[in-house]
Amino acid sequence: MTLRTSKQVGEWINRNKKISFKFEGEQFTAFEGDTISSALWAADQKVLGRSFKYHRPRGVLSLANHDVNVLMTDGIDTNIRADVVEVKDGMVLTAVNTTGGVKKDKSSYIDSISPLLPVGFYYKAFHTPRRFFPFWEKVIRNAAGLGIVNFDYPRILKRKQHSHCDVLVIGAGPTGLTAAYEAAQAGLEVTLVDENRQVGGSLTYDRGGETAASKQLNDLLIKVANQSNIKMLTGTYAAGYYPDHLIPVVSEGGINKVRAKTVIVASGAFEQPPVFRYNDLPGVMLGSAAQRLIYRYGVKPFNNGIVVTANDYGYRVALDLLEAGTKVVAVVDLRKGTNTCGAAITLAKRGIKIYAGYCVYEALASSDKSSVRGAVLCEYDNIANVALTKNKLTLECDGIAMSAGWAPAGALLYQAGTGMQFDNSVQQFVPSRLPAGIFAAGKVNGIFDLEQRLQDGKRAANEALRYLGLEAPQITVARPVGQPSDLSCPSHPYPMVPHDKGKNFVDFDEDIQIKDFVNAAKEGFDNIELMKRFTTVGMGPSQGKHSNMNAIRILARIRDLPVEKIGTTTSRPFFHPTPIGHLGGRGFHAHRLTSLHDWHQANGAVFTDIGAWKRAAYYPTNGQTKEQAIQTEAMAVRTAAGIIDGSSFGKIEVHGPDAAEFLERFFTGSYKTQKVGRCRYVMLLDDSGVIADDGIASRLADDLFYLSIGTSNAAAVYREMQRSQQMWQLDIGLVNVTGAFGAINIAGPVARTILSALTDLDLSYESFPISSVRESHVAGVEARLIRVAFVSDVGYELHIPMAHVPHVWNALLEAGKQHGLRPFGSDTQRLLRLEMGHPMPGVDTDGLTNPFEIGADWAIEMNKPYFIGQRSLQILAKRPLRKQLVPFVLAENFKGEMPMDCNLVVDGRAILGRVTSIAYSKFINRCIGFAYVSPAKTAVGSTFEIRTDSGTLVKATVAAAPFIQNQKGA
Amino acid sequence: MKLLTCPMNGTRPLSEFIFGGEYREGPDQNTCTDAEWAAFVHNRSGAPGDKKEWWYHSPSGTWFIAERNTLTDKVSRTYLLGANNNNSNTAQEASK
Amino acid sequence: MPLRLLKFAVSKDHPAPRFFKSHEAPKKSYDVVIIGGGGHGLAAAYYLAKDHGITNVAVLEKGYIGGGNTGRNTTIVRSNYLTPEGVNFYDASVKIYEGLSEELDLNLFYSTRGHFTLAHTESAMRTMRWRAEVNKHVGVESRVVGPDEIAKACPQLDLSCSGQAPILGALFHAPGSVARHDGVAWGYARGADRLGAEIHQNTEVLAIDVKNGKVCGVKTNKGYIETKQVLCAVAGFTPRITEMVDLETPIVIHPLQACVTEPMKPWLDTILVSGSLHVYVSQSSRGELVMGSSLDPYEVHSTRSTLDFVEGLTSHMLDMFPFLSNVKVVRQWAGMADMTPDFAPIMGKTPIEGFYIDAGWGTWGFKATPISGKTMAQTIANDSAPDLIHSFRLSRFEDYELTGEKGAASVGH
Repeated sequence: MTLRTSKQVGEWINRNKKISFKFEGEQFTAFEGDTISSALWAADQKVLGRSFKYHRPRGVLSLANHDVNVLMTDGIDTNIRADVVEVKDGMVLTAVNTTGGVKKDKSSYIDSISPLLPVGFYYKAFHTPRRFFPFWEKVIRNAAGLGIVNFDYPRILKRKQHSHCDVLVIGAGPTGLTAAYEAAQAGLEVTLVDENRQVGGSLTYDRGGETAASKQLNDLLIKVANQSNIKMLTGTYAAGYYPDHLIPVVSEGGINKVRAKTVIVASGAFEQPPVFRYNDLPGVMLGSAAQRLIYRYGVKPFNNGIVVTANDYGYRVALDLLEAGTKVVAVVDLRKGTNTCGAAITLAKRGIKIYAGYCVYEALASSDKSSVRGAVLCEYDNIANVALTKNKLTLECDGIAMSAGWAPAGALLYQAGTGMQFDNSVQQFVPSRLPAGIFAAGKVNGIFDLEQRLQDGKRAANEALRYLGLEAPQITVARPVGQPSDLSCPSHPYPMVPHDKGKNFVDFDEDIQIKDFVNAAKEGFDNIELMKRFTTVGMGPSQGKHSNMNAIRILARIRDLPVEKIGTTTSRPFFHPTPIGHLGGRGFHAHRLTSLHDWHQANGAVFTDIGAWKRAAYYPTNGQTKEQAIQTEAMAVRTAAGIIDGSSFGKIEVHGPDAAEFLERFFTGSYKTQKVGRCRYVMLLDDSGVIADDGIASRLADDLFYLSIGTSNAAAVYREMQRSQQMWQLDIGLVNVTGAFGAINIAGPVARTILSALTDLDLSYESFPISSVRESHVAGVEARLIRVAFVSDVGYELHIPMAHVPHVWNALLEAGKQHGLRPFGSDTQRLLRLEMGHPMPGVDTDGLTNPFEIGADWAIEMNKPYFIGQRSLQILAKRPLRKQLVPFVLAENFKGEMPMDCNLVVDGRAILGRVTSIAYSKFINRCIGFAYVSPAKTAVGSTFEIRTDSGTLVKATVAAAPFIQNQKGA
Repeated sequence: MKLLTCPMNGTRPLSEFIFGGEYREGPDQNTCTDAEWAAFVHNRSGAPGDKKEWWYHSPSGTWFIAERNTLTDKVSRTYLLGANNNNSNTAQEASK
Repeated sequence: MPLRLLKFAVSKDHPAPRFFKSHEAPKKSYDVVIIGGGGHGLAAAYYLAKDHGITNVAVLEKGYIGGGNTGRNTTIVRSNYLTPEGVNFYDASVKIYEGLSEELDLNLFYSTRGHFTLAHTESAMRTMRWRAEVNKHVGVESRVVGPDEIAKACPQLDLSCSGQAPILGALFHAPGSVARHDGVAWGYARGADRLGAEIHQNTEVLAIDVKNGKVCGVKTNKGYIETKQVLCAVAGFTPRITEMVDLETPIVIHPLQACVTEPMKPWLDTILVSGSLHVYVSQSSRGELVMGSSLDPYEVHSTRSTLDFVEGLTSHMLDMFPFLSNVKVVRQWAGMADMTPDFAPIMGKTPIEGFYIDAGWGTWGFKATPISGKTMAQTIANDSAPDLIHSFRLSRFEDYELTGEKGAASVGH
């Protein structure tokens, strides 16, 4: 049987295009534009999903993604919101979280044992005896969860958009459309977003059986369409509010990060279910859901229905049902008294029975519990809020529409820091203190009358205009003032019907009933935050959209407090759950490459990440292992020569008359006495005296120092130099030339021979000794040559413009070919500098190491007036050392398990220190390293024990650095 | 993402900036006690309120001072050190 | 179904008493006042009563119990720290945790999942080895494992991280667990209450009365309370309390954010952390992925959310698990982490007599809840801190004796 109605004005489906899909193994057809749920409902499919905890059959509740009754899996995708996701041709759908299908879900037995599962039951059991918990945990974990994630789902890289506007209007209902139009009229750039695929909000479904709303919508749309300065984004929800008016708006295509000057929130309100026994049966739905089915999708919600209501809205729903061809068996109004609103009068005229002062005590389930067969009505005590069960009246029906009140869709307002106050007259939290540049209008502002909403949209637009410094008249739109018992009140103060047997649901995501709140309070969880955590109300995927308000009302009743004393839980992004792929976007990983990167790659380099840089670590040839490659490269440097790409080193120029003064304050050494053409070691400390970095300062002129420092900290060191200069205001300039200069280090006994073929510079010891710098040409390229002894006694760092590095590199390789020159990588460099006895910051030091602990006293000029860390060093100097770094060797011909760096230096149970570097040096045929040891045992020849990975103890002997003899070279 | 106004480059997204900690004036290191220096190095005025802070605009390499309330995260003004205040600074004091 | 649930089925009255009594107002005086009704404060109250027989104790909570970082953290419990002091301390905590559900008779869902700290760089591998060595030395089960073993425990993980940050290995810590954070607070609250301590919610401390360097009372929004001993256990609010007694500390507050996806059927059994990618993730018993990242980069005393955080985190999650593209994030939130310069807590006595501090818990407070409660109770009862927390004393900063946790905690959890 089909529930499809005749064509509705403004419907969202295209009846000319049929779609076919499968649900739970059965074939269905739909129209293009149907959602999955509307298509299935049209085909009279009532059980569309199963509830999270009790596996109760569930159908349409809000049809608006305010609940997750109906979540589905389609191929590799899961947790699909069937209520709002358009059905596509060929979909193969199943409901999530069932055992053996949605119709005959074997897990539905849980519903019948629900008395064993009181609120918070999982806190109360399964933990004793302890050894059984893993079993129960597995059971519980498997029972929980919704869809099954498919590991084949592809990574989808969504681009992010950024946009700016004067006014962002959230919600394109009548209020939002009006606000957007008014703001646009004043010439502002307006962005209007609405989560629905068509605009119009309530005008698309709330019609009260008439077509006036549809016409009104058309008029509004024409006005808006003529405003070219309105950007309309449909199918797009505002996901959250972030500081300074940043609002990510999310559509299927991805995220658009909107930065708005002002924001008008016209997001409407969520209809709230009244709570009675079996209010979750398929066929019991919100009035607005029934209307959405009718007017958007041309689907009759049911054939013979009851409307249970507590506001005038329900009467309009009844008229809409009649319009759709549903027989309205009765309108049941929790409120006493004769309703004189237009809809009520029309209904009465049409002979519809109205039970005022009645409630639905319980819905009656069909024998298979999959649908409604009737409802039991009772008189309702509207003060005590209980059913008077003396006289029960049973009506037959196959559906119930519920309209008892609203909760503001105020998530973004809350997130923006809006103060919300409970307005008794409209029974709703409304904004009382809005942050600058944020405005609220329409239902979210407690304004429900359509004409008033339009006015409120205009008011908000005018306020936004004035906020932006434009002129606009002040408009006042007042919320009705009265008692909640007044018939005009949009929300009932307590639309609950207690029932001895329960199953009156407040939170449909989490299967939470009235008694769960009562019992939680009984156990002491009687403030809203604790209650939320204990009952899990509002913690499901719909985040309380349909449940938080009722929970607050129930708690207020339990505590006998007014609602405003209860307050609300904190609203957090996201408004709707938002895909990780959308949020993650394309995913950027910034890497810096040297100009030799392609060469390294072509020559088989293995790369390593150092800071942001990709550095060549070593170049294995002919299937060499890492260790073999490193030894080969190191031997080349020791016996002939090697070159390494040092382009990633930090390079900073300090120029100006105060350059030496700056260095004296910034680093630990003395630089005023440094001669032009000479290099000195620099060490940077932090305020607490901990080593931050080190490097070399080359004095190129009286007023120019060229610093080369480590790779990973270069940016941070430069930043700190800039900060210091801001404070010191010396007569200097700082230039970070890290990316402008590349560097090549050529090192080894024949380095000089090779280099001399490419430069006119006199490389003899006498004229170019260690720790000096020259400016000259290499292979025709201008270069700064620094005579360093970091990896070898004979070594030259060539600093050349980055673009020319490959040219010089190739020239060196060519010139060195006959001499056995080969490239080496950063891993090899570590071995080489270890042989030379140089500790490396970050490798041989950690975040707490001071210079005394690595024996770097020589690098510190304590007698200077000031340097960073000086005062702390004065304090540290008085304190005993806790550990000290020493060079060490293992026994000759050591054959045991090789210790690794970070193996501990132990003395029985005491940890004395750790190995920071260790390697086998083929050149001296010895295992060498650095380790922290007890300061009492640092004399050369002292021994200590290193515990290896497997736990064996290896004896090590403190040695003298460097480990290799000075090589004069050729 | 918040916005922050660099005195040299105008209002930019926060992702372009690096926080440099509170701007603090230390004791005279030549006359202070060890304990006073240790307190300066390690302790912070952690309670919420209006703070003078270092911020760095990374793309342009500009250090500046922002006056910010650490409770509300609202920045009241930003300026280059020395441009809008008469504070002497720690290190200069120290080096005299 | 366990029999203990039967009584709920047969009784109409929900036969479960209040977790803790509701008190109209605090008494005029207490032996000990604990500021902060989070896990730490409640645990301290519990152990004061249980271990030391001190029951004339009030826990003052300005909001609701467990509403601060106890209820905001990602619930990971582990002890694979870098320093022997740290490892010993957190290991003692793990040991209490393992039996805590039984002791408090509340199922805390203490679930031992195994914890992998992934290393994507050689330098990260070094740190892992360092931690493993110290852990092993102290007797805690940690070891460095290769990609194979990681793949075995979590076959869904893309070991190349989308080619961006290949995983070289990991520190595997077998005792790594997750637990229900709320339950820990509630369980200790119930335990403390039953033993006689009083829990006062919505009770805010406005001032602390110190005379001649000694605590003599606290002023609250519900009146003045005389007491000679006050414990400050307020995490992100620590500077506000220490300011009341003019106590300087290194603590600065940075928000720490987290987020959670909608539930899905269980697939992730282990706890994964990647320092390089700034991600930690586990799957809750409800089926949600609970995810966190590193601290926010600047000081803010609020729990606001940022988009940057969730964008960065999800991007890196996709590097590890590309198939999560269409899994949805339901909610993000934040806590206020009280950070110290050396990533270790500040515990014990202070220069003010009777004012005890339990702070600097940064991003690692939840895992220490039982042992911090126990050791602070000991400190208060004896007016002397036990050896186990000696290295966490406030005076270490003046002594230039910071703890060495800095290396391990960049994104530790």
